[in-house]
Amino acid sequence: MRTAAPVAGFVALLAAFPFLVTAPWLMTIALFTLMYAVLASAWNLVGGYAGYPSLGHAAFFGLGAYAEAIWFQHHGIGSGLAPFAVLPLVGLAVAAAGLPVAWIAMRTRSDVFAIVTITLLFVAQTLAYNLRGITHGAQGMAMPVPDFAPATFERPFYYAMLALLVFALLLSWAVLRSRLGLALLAVRADEDKARGVGVPVGTAKLGAFALSVGITGMAGGVWAYYLSFIYPQFAVDPLVTIAMVLMVFLGGRGTLWGPVLGAFVIAPAQQYLAYQYGASQLYLLGYAALFVLVMLVLPRGVLPTLADRWRRRRLRADVGPEVAVEQP
Amino acid sequence: MTAPLLEVRGLGKRFGGVAAVDGCSFGVQRGTVTGLIGPNGSGKTTLFNLVTGYLRADAGQILLDGRRIARPDPARLYRRGLCRTFQQPRVFPDLTVLENLLIASGHRWPALAGPRARAGDRAAGEALLAEFGLAALAADPAEELSYGQRKLLEFAALLMSAPALVLLDEPTAGVNPTMVRTMERHIRARHATGTTFLVVEHDMGLVMRLCDPVVVMDGGRVIAQGPPGSVQTDPRVLDAYLGG
Repeated sequence: MRTAAPVAGFVALLAAFPFLVTAPWLMTIALFTLMYAVLASAWNLVGGYAGYPSLGHAAFFGLGAYAEAIWFQHHGIGSGLAPFAVLPLVGLAVAAAGLPVAWIAMRTRSDVFAIVTITLLFVAQTLAYNLRGITHGAQGMAMPVPDFAPATFERPFYYAMLALLVFALLLSWAVLRSRLGLALLAVRADEDKARGVGVPVGTAKLGAFALSVGITGMAGGVWAYYLSFIYPQFAVDPLVTIAMVLMVFLGGRGTLWGPVLGAFVIAPAQQYLAYQYGASQLYLLGYAALFVLVMLVLPRGVLPTLADRWRRRRLRADVGPEVAVEQP
Repeated sequence: MTAPLLEVRGLGKRFGGVAAVDGCSFGVQRGTVTGLIGPNGSGKTTLFNLVTGYLRADAGQILLDGRRIARPDPARLYRRGLCRTFQQPRVFPDLTVLENLLIASGHRWPALAGPRARAGDRAAGEALLAEFGLAALAADPAEELSYGQRKLLEFAALLMSAPALVLLDEPTAGVNPTMVRTMERHIRARHATGTTFLVVEHDMGLVMRLCDPVVVMDGGRVIAQGPPGSVQTDPRVLDAYLGG
């Protein structure tokens, strides 16, 4: 495969990064960048391929975070790797929790779906505040802190996020190549027509949603373990949802690498600004401005626009300049 | 006489105070190309929507192959051999021409985990594209097709399921005369191999050439049916079309 070598190189570079850069603050930025690449890739399965703009994904991020925290209230973390080992279970549990949600929410479409899912987000946040017996409410929940060497404390979390990113990309790639991917693209284009040619649209949508929120929940689990303390307003944070959407829109909806590109541009910038300007939340203005800019200049995102341009240039080269102009 | 392949009994559908389909009953016999004509607003497209599960009927029954369909669902009906085209051709513009056929192969949900194209599907799709003269466009996005080509593609895609009954909603509306003949040729070819058709069409020349019998609707109900020749001279039909 033509793309295998660059992809392997990209992953190798990411794997070598902790040995090239050791400053903890840079490692933290890298860690969050990977996390957002995972989240954006996960969101893309539903928002990009199927065209269902979920604004509720942060609820599943929080669900994964709380699942992890609650589990280790009662269990030891051993040498510190146990919280990573249970991630597949967290992912399965969150995916299962996503099924009934998707079954109801995906009866609505486009803007109504966005509203239904953002409602879900606030319901989840309210539950996290008020189910004190389980979540300790506004007090927050502690995770045990592993005794990793301080100098390389971020590394295990970094590699966990990298593993999740590779998993998310492999899964997205497999979905695109499968009949599920074809069905999702058909749903995005014209769901009623898709039903009319026998596409099991309900199952396709449920499947995409479960995969998407399962990955999202696993990222939440690593996040909770890394921070070792989670609060409802950060575990179920509308800004996490907005970041996912913005990254996918910037990079290119429904493409394999667009969400990664979007995350690699926006997440470091946002983290850097947060370091520079502390809690001023000035970066929110940046978010809004960037969103407007993307919508105006690159409504389809960077990668589809580039691909289109490249394809047209090649067509022109094939046909020759004098015939390339469309006849009236 | 055997049970009709498709039968509607007393079918009714109201939109607010308007009865779009009002006690409509008729049958489509196996092996026919049945024409469904009537003035604009007589309920033909609504009837298609009811029969294919896009709308839920308020009254009446739909029987496919003698068996009542309690809750029509487009995807399930498609897999049972009943499918339709739309007045404005609906294809998936982002998918390639070939993928538009592959997506229509009608597999149940477990196939979602499998590859985009099973070996048999790809062969069937390519054969259909060759039959419909679209083979050269197989790898192009469907959005690049002309209006007439989209109509052909939409029709061709349905044939991936080897349907028993195809409902065509104005298959030649808005296309050039050459394309009308092409479409007619394809319908005839498929009819010859055993597919039954129910065709809504405003081109009376085509209806008279192609369809037998012809069902005439007006005001949501059937006002006449029979061989094209007799329908053509039926005073009730003339009255409906010319007004009186």
